[in-house]
Amino acid sequence: MDLTPDINEVIRYLGYRGAVPDDSVRAEIKECIGDLQREVTPRFVYEKFPLSVKTEQDKIPLLCLGNLEIRSRDLARNLAGCYGAYLMAVTLGPGPDRLIRRASVSQMSRAVILQAAAAAMTETWCDQINERIRREAELDGLCTRPRYSPGYGDLPLELQKDISRILNMPKEIGVSLTGTLLMTPSKSVTALIGVSDRPGESRGRGCDSCKASANCAYRV
Amino acid sequence: MRKDLRERLGKEWLIFDGGTGTILQSRGLRGGELPETWNLKRPEDIIDLHSGYLRAGCDIFNTNTFGANALKFPDDLEQIVTAAVNLAKEARRRCGREDAYVALDIGPTGKLLEPLGDLPFESAVQLFGEVVRYGSRAGADLVLIETMSDSYEAKAAVLAAKENCDLPVLVTVTFDGQGKMLTGGSVDSTVALLEGLGVDALGVNCGLGPEQMIPIVERLTEVCSIPVIVNPNAGLPRTEGGRTVYNVGPEEFADRMEKIAGMGVQAVGGCCGTTPEHIRLTAERVKKIPFREPVPKYRTVVSSFSQCVEIGGKPVIIGERINPTGKKKFKQALRDNDIEYILREGLRQEDSGAHILDVNVGLPEIDEPQMLSEVVQKLQSVLALPLQIDTTDPAALERSMRIYNGKPMVNSVNGKKESIETVFPLVRKYGGVLVALVLDEDGIPSDAEGRIRIARRIYEAADRYGVPRKDIVIDGLAMTISSDNTSALVTLETLRRVRDELHGHTILGVSNISFGLPRRAMINSYFLAMALQSGLSAAIMNPGNEDMMEAYRAYCALAGLDPQCREFIEAYAGTSDRAPAEKAVKGTEGVPAASGSSGNTSMNLKESVLRGMSQSAAEAARNALKDTAALDLIDRDLIPALDQVGKGFEAGTIFLPQLLMSAEAAKAAFEVVKEFMKGQPQEVKGRIILATVKGDIHDIGKNIVKVMLENYGYEVLDLGKDVPPEVIVDTAVNENIKLVGLSALMTTTVVSMEETIRLLRGKKPDTRVVVGGAVMTQEYADAIGADCYAKDAMATVHYAEDVFGA
Repeated sequence: MDLTPDINEVIRYLGYRGAVPDDSVRAEIKECIGDLQREVTPRFVYEKFPLSVKTEQDKIPLLCLGNLEIRSRDLARNLAGCYGAYLMAVTLGPGPDRLIRRASVSQMSRAVILQAAAAAMTETWCDQINERIRREAELDGLCTRPRYSPGYGDLPLELQKDISRILNMPKEIGVSLTGTLLMTPSKSVTALIGVSDRPGESRGRGCDSCKASANCAYRV
Repeated sequence: MRKDLRERLGKEWLIFDGGTGTILQSRGLRGGELPETWNLKRPEDIIDLHSGYLRAGCDIFNTNTFGANALKFPDDLEQIVTAAVNLAKEARRRCGREDAYVALDIGPTGKLLEPLGDLPFESAVQLFGEVVRYGSRAGADLVLIETMSDSYEAKAAVLAAKENCDLPVLVTVTFDGQGKMLTGGSVDSTVALLEGLGVDALGVNCGLGPEQMIPIVERLTEVCSIPVIVNPNAGLPRTEGGRTVYNVGPEEFADRMEKIAGMGVQAVGGCCGTTPEHIRLTAERVKKIPFREPVPKYRTVVSSFSQCVEIGGKPVIIGERINPTGKKKFKQALRDNDIEYILREGLRQEDSGAHILDVNVGLPEIDEPQMLSEVVQKLQSVLALPLQIDTTDPAALERSMRIYNGKPMVNSVNGKKESIETVFPLVRKYGGVLVALVLDEDGIPSDAEGRIRIARRIYEAADRYGVPRKDIVIDGLAMTISSDNTSALVTLETLRRVRDELHGHTILGVSNISFGLPRRAMINSYFLAMALQSGLSAAIMNPGNEDMMEAYRAYCALAGLDPQCREFIEAYAGTSDRAPAEKAVKGTEGVPAASGSSGNTSMNLKESVLRGMSQSAAEAARNALKDTAALDLIDRDLIPALDQVGKGFEAGTIFLPQLLMSAEAAKAAFEVVKEFMKGQPQEVKGRIILATVKGDIHDIGKNIVKVMLENYGYEVLDLGKDVPPEVIVDTAVNENIKLVGLSALMTTTVVSMEETIRLLRGKKPDTRVVVGGAVMTQEYADAIGADCYAKDAMATVHYAEDVFGA
């Protein structure tokens, strides 16, 4: 598989806000991507579940995904019109974390670049699995919604525990949760992707849909 | 009645049972329901499950305890495990199969161990130990550790089993289609680790169907000297109407298992998706083909969590630089608990081409068991080279061998009775390749004959302690030729005789040979070539020494150990990619003078820092010091350069990578200046604690701040990540620290930050606290009572300047 991130995304993660890095930084970014490509062990797991949404006056909507119950206004908005959703989890494996730790000891500037490049690669890997899911849904005549992760909007991080259990993440892809609900290896993502028989309103996954976008260093 | 399992393992076919989950699901186990709860809720179903396999002809069957540990069952673990064993025994009685063995089944905890995750190694040992105690007390016949996808966790489980019962311990692990575990382990590294730990049999289960397992089984039977177990899934899973189904039926499964059995394995069974019918047919078919006992492989292998190094083939380089002997800076780093200094020494040696790193941190005034085990663990978190644990302190040796992830080299044992009695039991328990020094109570024999005699004695001791002879490497002892002209000859003769008469492997600390002589590198490199020619298997040396590496590479090329002279050419062909730093130095020539700087050399220094070029900055500093006072250099060039970069960063014209590159260049220059000023008192502006708070494992932000603070002349006490509030507070009190910097990335860990501040206010009210991290804001910082919110590294520097009045 080709896990080459968009170099402009890496630059954005480095906080350049549209500025252009000099050649030495660009060269370093390319080297870091090469190092990461040698060390990653990308894995994924996903599964589709039936979805129903209960809305009551003045209450946060309750989403029932398989056996799982989730209360979230923002997710309900994301999944409006869906009667099924995929849970997915992806990881680049423990290699990037080790590379970053290593560079943190020997050369911090490289650690920062590795960190940004690995984050962009994780997104690329997410996109690839997302695309796979989109095609699978398409075969059933369904459309997918933009992916949505625990921690976005009012969707609680606590949900990580359920996703981990339901997808059997430790065994399937080697990702486990710390006591504070962080994923290890750190270059991992979980998300929900709704499916519906009609396309959603075209609200991209761009910065405008994010509450924090006003002061964000990574804003596009 | 039941024979001792150890008498049957590896002597005859043994059949394992098949899947549990699939069968319980067909009996109504819901998705997300913990199967182990059925030991109490639905005992008859569990008895039926076992009975199915017993009637199908399995010899070893697993208790329903795969996920039973105190993390998942904090309240009723003992009942669940005890019930599981009792149900298995009851099934055995009902089926009239008293010859079958009840395996206490142990699966992974579901947590990643430190340093990848947050479960400490010893906590894992405790979690597993508890299950083993309950299970063995209830009457299990063996412990089966299975579906392990992290070799480190497998090690924790094996130690727990061995320390809590005397039952046979069998281990099967899970590989992916590429033959890798989730945390990177290979077949070779797993076999080295588990054989070293002295398990009774090992193998592979789950993850793959029988067909996909064939290449893995092939490698297993090539390298493994103990019985091999193969328990595949019934092919690959797919979801059908919300249920997981597998694509290989009983007939096809038995076909494939017959083939696998013929490859030289000793025990077979099934995993996910297999049923009693799969096992019945497999048992029938496999028991008809001739049984082959496992054959010893005589491979001397050291391993890390992912890499293996074999001793006895191409000579091995063991990096010697992690050792305080004769190194002032290294000693100081140990006293200051500056682990990063030691890690950098390790990384440099890896880059220079070492295959294994010797790790010695022995210094009279430090707590060696604590320091050595910490260094071993931290080294393993940044590099994958196997390590050689080098100490004379038995407590330090045991603690480090215990937490080592893999099969280490151990330096060393010698012919003294006391040494043999201390070291061999540890190697027997934890596994390792043992360096044996040919000296004893009477000292070092002056001739080869005497050294060979001691070598023989050590081999005999290995036999007595049950340590395989292949895991002994004889150190022929290089003694300086400056005091005894024939000492090199004696050493070389010893190497030759170990190879030719004892058929053993050898190792030497090569550079001792030249002690007291000028131009040591010259003598050392010639001696290295001679020693290699006399059969030396492993050289303990400095891989950063070009003379030594030249001798090594030339020898390998000449001795036919470097096919097509590839490595030689790679190292020495005219051009190489490995010189970007040199290019960078050249690149500084012709850089236009920055306005306002004085003189030609110092202009270069400032420019080098501005451009973030470490090597050229160091060089420029060295040049400038010839005619400029050190303090002037700092005040006139270094500080202004740093300030310029810092201002650019704040103005948004310079970005984080450049800021750090400049910081690194400044640091390189500062080091040159410091070296120059050695002996003179050096000013430290202030001492600051930095820590990523408890529960948080993201430390990149904290590390960035550290680089910047150090650049501005502060001493940073870096307490690391996931640091408990008490540790931060105690350090602040004991070291009388005026400023503490705390970092947290997630909202979930800001609570630890608040707790730390609260505790600190109580115990050390005069200490100021600066906070930062991705989720931090000024409001948040105010709410948790911090003195300052720093939005980035430069803001922290400014606050430090305020606090310390710079």
